[in-house]
Amino acid sequence: MSAVAPLTAAPARPSALQRRLATAGAVLAALAAAQLLGAPGFPGSLNLGIAGPVNSAQEWIRDSRDGHWLFTWILDPFTWLVRTGLDSVEAFLTWLPWYVPIVAVFLLVAKSRRFGLAAACALAVAYPGVVGVWKESIETISLMSVAVAFSVAVGVPLGIWAAFRPRVETTLRPLLDAMQTVPATIYLIPTVLLFGIGQVPAAIATIIYALPPMVRLTVLGIRQVPPQAVEASRMFGATRRQTLSRVQIPLAMPSIVAGVNQTVMMALGIVVIATLVGAGGLGQAINQTVRQLSPGRGLVISLAVVAVAFVLDRVTQSLVTAPDRPRTRVPRRVLWSAVGAVVAATVAGKVLGHGAFPFSWGSSFAAPLDDAVAWVRDTLSFATRPFNDFVVRDVLLRTRSLMTEVLSWQAVVVAGAAFAWLVAGARVALFTAAATAFIGATGLWVDATDTFAQTVVAVLLSIAIAVPTGVWLGRRPRIESALSPLLDSLQTIPPLIYAIPFVMLFTVGPVPGVVAAVVYAIPPGIRLTSLGIRQVNTETVEAATTFGASQRQLLWGVRIPLAMPSIVLAVNQMVMMVLAMAIIAGMVGGGGLGYRSIEALTAAGGTGLGAEVGIAVVLMASVLDRLTQSAARRLQAPASV
Amino acid sequence: MSGSGSPAIEVRHVWKVFGHGNPDDAIARAQVGATRAEVISHLQQTIGVRDVSFNVGRGETFVVMGLSGSGKSTLIRCISRLIEPTRGEVLLDGTDILQMDDEQLRAVRRGRMSMVFQHFGLFPHRKVLDNVAYGLEVQRVPRDARLARAREVLDVVGLTGWADSYPQQLSGGMQQRVGLARALAVDPEILLFDEPFSALDPLIRREMQDELLRLQKSLQRTIVFITHDFAEALRLGDRIAIMKDGEFDQVGTPEEIVANPATDYVREFTTDVPRAKVLRARALATPGGPAPRSVQADALLETVIPMLLDRDEPVGVVDADGRNLGVIDRRAVAGILAAERR
Repeated sequence: MSAVAPLTAAPARPSALQRRLATAGAVLAALAAAQLLGAPGFPGSLNLGIAGPVNSAQEWIRDSRDGHWLFTWILDPFTWLVRTGLDSVEAFLTWLPWYVPIVAVFLLVAKSRRFGLAAACALAVAYPGVVGVWKESIETISLMSVAVAFSVAVGVPLGIWAAFRPRVETTLRPLLDAMQTVPATIYLIPTVLLFGIGQVPAAIATIIYALPPMVRLTVLGIRQVPPQAVEASRMFGATRRQTLSRVQIPLAMPSIVAGVNQTVMMALGIVVIATLVGAGGLGQAINQTVRQLSPGRGLVISLAVVAVAFVLDRVTQSLVTAPDRPRTRVPRRVLWSAVGAVVAATVAGKVLGHGAFPFSWGSSFAAPLDDAVAWVRDTLSFATRPFNDFVVRDVLLRTRSLMTEVLSWQAVVVAGAAFAWLVAGARVALFTAAATAFIGATGLWVDATDTFAQTVVAVLLSIAIAVPTGVWLGRRPRIESALSPLLDSLQTIPPLIYAIPFVMLFTVGPVPGVVAAVVYAIPPGIRLTSLGIRQVNTETVEAATTFGASQRQLLWGVRIPLAMPSIVLAVNQMVMMVLAMAIIAGMVGGGGLGYRSIEALTAAGGTGLGAEVGIAVVLMASVLDRLTQSAARRLQAPASV
Repeated sequence: MSGSGSPAIEVRHVWKVFGHGNPDDAIARAQVGATRAEVISHLQQTIGVRDVSFNVGRGETFVVMGLSGSGKSTLIRCISRLIEPTRGEVLLDGTDILQMDDEQLRAVRRGRMSMVFQHFGLFPHRKVLDNVAYGLEVQRVPRDARLARAREVLDVVGLTGWADSYPQQLSGGMQQRVGLARALAVDPEILLFDEPFSALDPLIRREMQDELLRLQKSLQRTIVFITHDFAEALRLGDRIAIMKDGEFDQVGTPEEIVANPATDYVREFTTDVPRAKVLRARALATPGGPAPRSVQADALLETVIPMLLDRDEPVGVVDADGRNLGVIDRRAVAGILAAERR
């Protein structure tokens, strides 16, 4: 790398400035050449035609669904297993008297002696019933619990395996990365092909989607077990299996539970989207309200999803206390009488013929909310409309015409590579060039440009808000811990839910998606930035203070430079979240790749298109990810030896 | 004191080479005299342990003293095969544990050899009692029996009443008592200590050393003890090995090492040692005598000095049977004490 100057410079060598000027000149020349020799837009002749073979594969699958061994011996039994799981959980929850889940959740959370939280959870369980979507919630919860159960059953063993075999992990990692960046709608396509329409393919897509965090956090948990504990266990003659079951898994448990928790949240995030393939449940109810443009009812039902998320989050977290913290033990007698009470309530309820939630205030909520949203929209329109117009007309449309009509595609590739070289080095630059050209070759150049422009706008806005806030909060731990529940709950809400209120405030189009993406991406951005500021070594700050540095010098000279890797990591997270949201925004009229993915799902013969969209999104995501990650790595102080 | 009969542990020509590539190259270079630094720069391989051989007698406390990076922790892990040695033999009662299969090795670790770790290596998710019982648990000893044994050992190390706490609720010294109890619970012939007290405060460290000396008096185990603290080595060791760059500079009893440091490196450690507390009458005796006043051969110098101050007349040195071995006069003592300050 050219950044490191040799200690004894040869006299003939050009100075650093000269070299820099030469590089800049070369880049500009390459850009000019690419612009003059190339042509705007991506030529159809270079289209790889990925759609064709994918569509013929689909034909084959359709034709051989009955009879081929792949279906009769592997996929059909799996379908049966998932369906049986779904049906029995749903039947059981429907059969239970409505107050039993409320009481059970209360007791479960109250086990950790946090009665206020337990009461809040109980209320959250009751909420969907109150607003009239009890049945839909049961459908959603069944889908999720089956999907999560499968994800855990596959993910934990896979994670343990990967934790012990570095080679397995290096193989799995890019796969897991890709699995998390592919838009959920793309997942649905092959599952629909293989499993048809309905709850089962939705559950299977959810399983696949929710698997990566489970594997990742299991690997992390096992790796984080103190090596001394493992060594001690070996030294006492424990077999591998004994060490695993008695030392490693128990010590990895908080991380594994965090994985379950994440898995639940991921699953919940896909539930809304899965309605496209007939998952039903809360997602369908929400989609209906989006179509009816009934923001009040949409909000009310979205809150039901949030309520479910809240309850599942708290319940999974309360299941396990950190292993090194002494747990609050509940006397066995109390435990059994609680279980007895729940069973007795169930039996009594069934004898009395209790079942589904007995009342609903659903529509009475919705109408005034609709009015309220309309009022807010009209009142705020003096601000929202110009903002909307500015972003669409002056930013997004101009970017599109710049990248697809003014600049040649070759120039875009060269510019991207040059930028990547600047921030991340030659390897990432090569990758960026190749990936950008390949996106063009999928035939989605214009759509990708739209998505890219939206992403950039949203990322810039997110950085402008999150980083200063994070820096400010980093030195005010008390305010931050007060804000923490808010940030937490913002992160648990499924992405589409974010988009809905903004659709109501702006017109349908790309702007609600952009704004929703900003709101979605800000919490982790703030978190990571303030974490970075807080982790700056106190002694370093004290040393700087001793030398008489002012507050401003402390901030710009010490805190921010030392927190820089963390801040860039925050940017990385925000980029990935914004991109995910930009895809989802396609559902609310954002256009771009997201819109194409829905088109792929709903139009006939869209499977090939779906594959192309998937490839384009994964490529774009990996370019942005690598760019920011290696920028973060470059900023890291060299590790001590 | 040093054991009699066949040694409990025989370590023969043990080598450990870290790094990628063929370790034979590194060993071959080292055998013709290449230093550690040369091997690292040429082969990117580190020699952790370099041709180390020694015996530990039954009931003996053998201390390996070295600074960080000297290879002492690697050496003790080679003895227990927590690290696989590159070459050599480690014989327990004549059987080479490096030739054992997994099952035989587990049998050794379960019954005959135990270890106490520098950072305690306790299991934070288990109560103190379950930590102590762990070795018995993996041997599938029934619950009641293993918990009873664990309580018994907790009493021995003075932790009665702490059975139901979690390790991190205890102070550092108490945590290491748990580590010691856990090692003792399986009633091993051999105890390996990997810098067990170095993470503790000086006062607690001394207390733990006393505790270990007290226990060893009654238990009489074979001990290999690793430390970077020369004073600790002198207090605990029947014999001490000084380790540097993966090999032993000198092996000997504390007084041999203090009286006759073999290399400049060893001498650096010995200069700060108060000789009066280490040297014994035997080492100072010059021909002469018998004298009217006398001390036993293993009496420490600090008991001889007041006698010489009392009257300027040589003090005789006698063995256990009262036979004359020589005399000590003021000159000899002054010479030794003067050397201390050089």
